[in-house]
Amino acid sequence: MSQRQIELEVLRYRPEMDDKPFFQTYQVPCEEEWVVLDALNYVKDEMDRTLSYRWSCHMFVCGSCGMVINGEPKLSCKAFLRDYKGKIRVEPLANFPIERDLVIVQDDFIEKLESVKPYIVAKQEKRVEDGEYLQTPAQLKAYKQYSMCINCLLCYSACPQYGLDEKFVGPAALALAHRYNMDSRDVGRSAREHVVASHDGIWACSFVGACSVVCPKDVDPAGAIQQTKFTSAVDYVTSFLPGGKR
Amino acid sequence: MARSAKAVPWFLFAAGGTVIAFILPVMIFVTGLAPAVGLFGDALSYETMQAFVGNWLIKLILLGVIVLAAWHAAHRLRVCAHDFGIRADHTVAIVVYSVAAIATAATIIALLMI
Amino acid sequence: MSRKPYVREVPKTTWFLKQSRYQHYMLHEISSIFVAIYTGILIVGLFRLAQGPEAWNGWLAAVTSPIGIVFHVLAFVFALLHTTSWFKAVPQAMRIQRGESFVPGNLIVGVHYGVWAAVSVVVLLLAGVA
Repeated sequence: MSQRQIELEVLRYRPEMDDKPFFQTYQVPCEEEWVVLDALNYVKDEMDRTLSYRWSCHMFVCGSCGMVINGEPKLSCKAFLRDYKGKIRVEPLANFPIERDLVIVQDDFIEKLESVKPYIVAKQEKRVEDGEYLQTPAQLKAYKQYSMCINCLLCYSACPQYGLDEKFVGPAALALAHRYNMDSRDVGRSAREHVVASHDGIWACSFVGACSVVCPKDVDPAGAIQQTKFTSAVDYVTSFLPGGKR
Repeated sequence: MARSAKAVPWFLFAAGGTVIAFILPVMIFVTGLAPAVGLFGDALSYETMQAFVGNWLIKLILLGVIVLAAWHAAHRLRVCAHDFGIRADHTVAIVVYSVAAIATAATIIALLMI
Repeated sequence: MSRKPYVREVPKTTWFLKQSRYQHYMLHEISSIFVAIYTGILIVGLFRLAQGPEAWNGWLAAVTSPIGIVFHVLAFVFALLHTTSWFKAVPQAMRIQRGESFVPGNLIVGVHYGVWAAVSVVVLLLAGVA
């Protein structure tokens, strides 16, 4: 396998000694078929043990290694070196506080995810003895795309509204709310409404659409939010009519 | 968090955006670009327009297009203000929707006068 | 071990200049300014029509003046920008499920352009024939 010398420019930040982040450059001998994550692993193993970053599966299913590479939010295990010419700049995900180096503070997202009740809210809890839920392929298709989210946060990094206002619930959380709302086993839409249909929920989204462009799993959170806007708006208006539910 | 009332102007925004996506380019062409190069000269003469707009169906269509366009633009301008860094959403909303309401009333009055 | 998370500020007024996809977004948001002004021009036009031939001709002259033409060219460009970006977004905003599959996005967009062409032809015919 042929080798290639890559110049990696990585944003560093050590809270115990730095006042603000700075770029550090590494000259990394790489194999042609490597991804950016491989280059980072080489740096950590052979050149600089202090470099900190998250990663796990190395096959774009776990969502751990989200970073901004040459200005674009990507999974570092899905960023192939062959697609880059010249210097490669690696930064932590945008719109999140930096904990250390390429590690960001995710707490805000976790809170928001919990707030949309990302689980089946069933009409009646079924015991195991009662048997399984039945669902047709068509019913599955209705929400399947939105279930593919791996919580990698690339969408939050790309979303300018989240960057401008941290209170925005955000693409992934809203897409997941939509995933459960569209699930035939779930009746929790009204339970989620006070978060989803709040000022900081779907209504803070202005359909920039960057989230769907960067999503490595083609979840299309922008589409999920727009679809939710329509049903939510109908719910809101009809709730004022006689017989409408609040 | 309470449910936001943004749902209502959003409906008008979506309806308006759809209507103007279909009809605005050709309307701008007919009222502004074509007469400038001498096309449709007679169509925009006073007599022709009087007769045309005098038709109640045309009045209804014009009412729909103009009012929806106004509310669409109002809501979008509200979002634009936020995107440009203006952090006074409540005030901006009152201003833009008031203008849209005035535009609505004005259109109705003008159409009744013709 | 003390934590000191570092927050990177986002510039509230110039954030969209940072990436071409944000610039593109701002461009079709700005189309609303031209829609608003054009709507105003139409409303004034209706009043002038109601006020008689002299008032109407005055409005017509203003609309076909150099400034009027410049505005209309810009408004036309932005109206087209709105139409194309709006149609492109429809399949995302509105998924139509038929059995186990969704109506292809291209078909939805194609139908929209078809209707757009039909509406445009109707209006042009009304203007040409009237």
